[in-house]
Amino acid sequence: MNYFLKRALAPAILSAALAAVPASAQQANDTLRVALAEEILNLDYNYTTKREYIILAQMTDTTLFSLDPNTQEFNPAVATGYEYIDEKTLDVSLRDDVKFHDGSTLTAEDVAYTYNWIVREDSESNASGTVGRWLDNVEVTGPTSVRFHLKSVYPLVLRDMAQRIMLRKAGTYDAGGTINRDAMAQQLIGTGPYKVVSFEPGQELVLERFDDFFGEKPAIQKVVVRNLPDIGTQQAEMMSGGIDWMFKVPLDLAESLGATPLATHLSGPDLRIAFIVLDAAGYTDENGPLTNTKVRQAINHALNKADMAKYLIGGSAEPIHTACHPAQFGCDVSVKDYSYDPDTARALLADAGYGDGFPLELWAYRNKAVAEAIAADLTAIGLDVDLRYVKLESLNQARASQDIPAYFGTWGSGGTADTAAIARIHFSMDTDRNLSGDEALAEEVLSAEQTSVQEDRAAIYSSALGKIADQAYWAPLFTYSANYLVSPDLDFPLDPDGLPRLQNSSWK
Amino acid sequence: MLKYILLRGLLAIAVAFTVSLAAFFLLNAATDPAQAIAGEDATQEVVETIRARYGLDQPLPVRYAQWLGGVLRGDFGESYYWHKPVAELVAERAGTTITLALSALFVTILIAIPLGAFAALNPNSWIDRVALGVAVSAQAVPNFWLGLIMIILFGVMMPIFPVSGDDTWRHFVLPAFVLGASSVPAVMRLTRTGLIEVMGADYIRTARSKGFRSGALLRRHALRNALLPVISVLAVQLGQKFGGSVITESIFAINGLGRLALESILGADIPTVQMLIFVFAIVFVAMNLVADILNAALDPRIRIG
Amino acid sequence: MTQVESFTVAVPEEAAPLTPRQLMRRRALGHTGFLIGAGLIIALALIALFAPLIAPHDPFVQSLSSRMLPPVWDDGGTWEHILGTDQNGRDYLSRLIYGARVSISIGLGAATIGMLIGVTLGVIAGYFGGWVDHGVSFLLTAQLALPGLLLAMALVFIIGPSIWVVICIIGVLHWTYYLVVTRSATQRIRNLDFVAAAAASGATPRQIIWHEIVPNLISQIIVIFTFELGIAILAEASLSFLGVGIQPPTPSWGLMIAEGKEAMFYRPWLVVLPGLCLFTLVIGANLMGDGLRDITAPEGRN
Repeated sequence: MNYFLKRALAPAILSAALAAVPASAQQANDTLRVALAEEILNLDYNYTTKREYIILAQMTDTTLFSLDPNTQEFNPAVATGYEYIDEKTLDVSLRDDVKFHDGSTLTAEDVAYTYNWIVREDSESNASGTVGRWLDNVEVTGPTSVRFHLKSVYPLVLRDMAQRIMLRKAGTYDAGGTINRDAMAQQLIGTGPYKVVSFEPGQELVLERFDDFFGEKPAIQKVVVRNLPDIGTQQAEMMSGGIDWMFKVPLDLAESLGATPLATHLSGPDLRIAFIVLDAAGYTDENGPLTNTKVRQAINHALNKADMAKYLIGGSAEPIHTACHPAQFGCDVSVKDYSYDPDTARALLADAGYGDGFPLELWAYRNKAVAEAIAADLTAIGLDVDLRYVKLESLNQARASQDIPAYFGTWGSGGTADTAAIARIHFSMDTDRNLSGDEALAEEVLSAEQTSVQEDRAAIYSSALGKIADQAYWAPLFTYSANYLVSPDLDFPLDPDGLPRLQNSSWK
Repeated sequence: MLKYILLRGLLAIAVAFTVSLAAFFLLNAATDPAQAIAGEDATQEVVETIRARYGLDQPLPVRYAQWLGGVLRGDFGESYYWHKPVAELVAERAGTTITLALSALFVTILIAIPLGAFAALNPNSWIDRVALGVAVSAQAVPNFWLGLIMIILFGVMMPIFPVSGDDTWRHFVLPAFVLGASSVPAVMRLTRTGLIEVMGADYIRTARSKGFRSGALLRRHALRNALLPVISVLAVQLGQKFGGSVITESIFAINGLGRLALESILGADIPTVQMLIFVFAIVFVAMNLVADILNAALDPRIRIG
Repeated sequence: MTQVESFTVAVPEEAAPLTPRQLMRRRALGHTGFLIGAGLIIALALIALFAPLIAPHDPFVQSLSSRMLPPVWDDGGTWEHILGTDQNGRDYLSRLIYGARVSISIGLGAATIGMLIGVTLGVIAGYFGGWVDHGVSFLLTAQLALPGLLLAMALVFIIGPSIWVVICIIGVLHWTYYLVVTRSATQRIRNLDFVAAAAASGATPRQIIWHEIVPNLISQIIVIFTFELGIAILAEASLSFLGVGIQPPTPSWGLMIAEGKEAMFYRPWLVVLPGLCLFTLVIGANLMGDGLRDITAPEGRN
């Protein structure tokens, strides 16, 4: 404990101890109070993307299948099983005891409606892009069975079913012929273990255990989700016992507050990785230094990613040298690994004819300390780094207009432990995230999604990742760590995919 | 007079339109609303879907024309985030900001006027120096820093007042102090100057020579006369409180217009930004107008129109 | 926000048979506030100027393994890093010292740009009046209504971040005080006899403005400049605090406060120290401004 904690925190701890009555009263009230920085404005995950919404959707909604984060296997949920009739026809059988929060029972028509709605042109759902790629339509084949007609072979069908599409009652979005995409945004009728009691967008969401839930019922009766955009505010609330759970906690804060009796610091793995993308294609400068492989390799050698992972991210963060998370299927870690070696980096630069360095604009949008550490490492090998630390929207805007020579990016793969969830979005030719300009690589990456044979997919990814490493299209940095601060009374189990599952928490 | 007020009203509207035009193009040049809505891990397909859903794939002039057409019909559009009409959103939050601005003004009055009055009654005394010191310090303190210091002091060391939220009157104490402090120097100095001037005026001298003690004198004549111009400055300051609410509300997590403005600007919620610019411009011009009218009413030498 | 406030009335002095310059020097040396303010400003300017000699470390050199070290008075603090280190292991004292450079140069630059804009518009509006004056009023109101945050965010993005861009943005946002004062002063001066005489003798408006009006505004402009210096410094700090001003790794006090905010309950000095630096610099500028006003225009009121 440091100076301030001893002197100044003492009264706070004292008052917290005195206020311990309301704290345990919360436990007696059986209410889990959660803080989220991101404003919660729409409860319908079919129309949202952000991670906070996945966390909530897991409580309010169910899907056909569910992912076991420990085995990465897809288990039956609303579905009881599936069977491929042929490559492009999939039969799914359903439970008959799934209840919506309004008391009605889920039918095969509801399932078919939901999927058919998502792939309809005018649904404009956030899931349309992904699902529309493989799903043609769904047909009701019996009271508890549906048949999926696929457009193409797609290896991640079960994943999309488990993680992307929340089941809705037939007619939800186009009752009476009028399209209402916000139908479930505020008054959600789902099938999940918790139902919505009240919702004030951007402020507070109150959930209550749904007694007719078909699966295992959660331990905690009530969940209150509060929007507290400022991490300092969250911290103050945590210290005064106003909240029980916060996530995305910066390392320093997590460690400092976790060292007090006011909160427990939990740190678990996360599928998010950090990396630098380099303009190898020369979009910003046709014959610029970054089009030279040696320069890109020099940048890879220049970065002390082990120190960044250890000191700036902490927890279970590890340096990586692959363009994927090592826990993902197909992520071959035997590819070329550029060691931290500034001398080699300088030699490579000199070899490439940039012995005196060159000006480099490096864009970044999160983890400012990491961005600064990268800039310092690159400065150390002689580059003249101009750090552009901006909002995500601005970075993407600039990237879309091909104004970015290098950026420090991160990707969470939507919690999917498969290289497919990171490769396509970063290396196909129709994404502006791809600065490699490598068409053969793009084709290779896409070909991995046209087969369901796992060995073939692994081999394809291995080859693609090897090429990415050899060509140094990226400078991979590290895996993230999920940092939480929770009330000392709360038992919150961590999962290996880094996705918080609040429905699994209980009181000690 | 009426013509003058009308002219100023027209000016406010012209300003609001000009500024909103500038803001519209600046924001669109700097950020991508579709990306902001979609979030960090959105694929390009999702971003494109959202772009189409919100009509963001239209050319800029078309979008501005659509917005303008809506405004002329009294419709400020719908927020990209909150899924409701911006006007409704602004109406919901205005109360909080008005409460904050008025409480801040109250704090200003509570500190500045007594301090200015005592300083004026005892020029060059220790209290005058204290008053000057307070004025100079309050002017030099970065507002956001003062807010953080208050949070450090009260959030942890002396948990008397809550440091976030806007549920009860106690939540407004610290933010009102922080926001109010910034106006203390101007109001204090004006009170002091005004009083010294009035105290030197003939009728006060006469009263003094008749043996009125200074306390009674102050109450009876001087303060009332000196405070009239202060009131017009308070009107201007109240207008500025709305602008000042941006940082204060964000630091203290108050759901008012200021925080909405900051979040909408940073998050590229263009319809909300556009309407807030209107609201702020009109409040600002209105408060200055009030000040002008007060000045004119007080001082027959000033003619407006 | 620019505050247009009333000037305090200084105590009238006994008329002395001294030249104006002597009189001014005497007043300056007798004005405690001015002396303190000037002293603070000079001291901080010297620190900024000689930062490389004074700073114990390079403010840009990082050492991740020795990040977030406590200051010397705390457990585990060392004299090596008197005020500890920041989140990237850079020496905090050295960054504070270099921060003075950023604040002072932005303050001076922005106050100058604001002066050029404000005085030009003020003199033109005051001299010509009528529609020109209405046009300038419109600009003034538009400027006050445009959120500075939005302008800064957009321009920093479009033009690219550099200290010059920040100087220009803050300058463009802070000219209203100059405008208001010079406009009314110009209105007053242009009706005086000597201006009428100059006009009668065939002087063009440009000559009248340059030779008759501007010289009479200089002392007021200097006073405003000093106040605007403080205001511009605070504006830079606010913008950098919000992340749309000075870009890392340049040490800016506002940015340092934002960086320290996360851990402010545990390492309060990370927030307190840069704030105190800002406070000292701005109070210096304001005391100097107050003093200059009393010195240059002891009889002046408003």
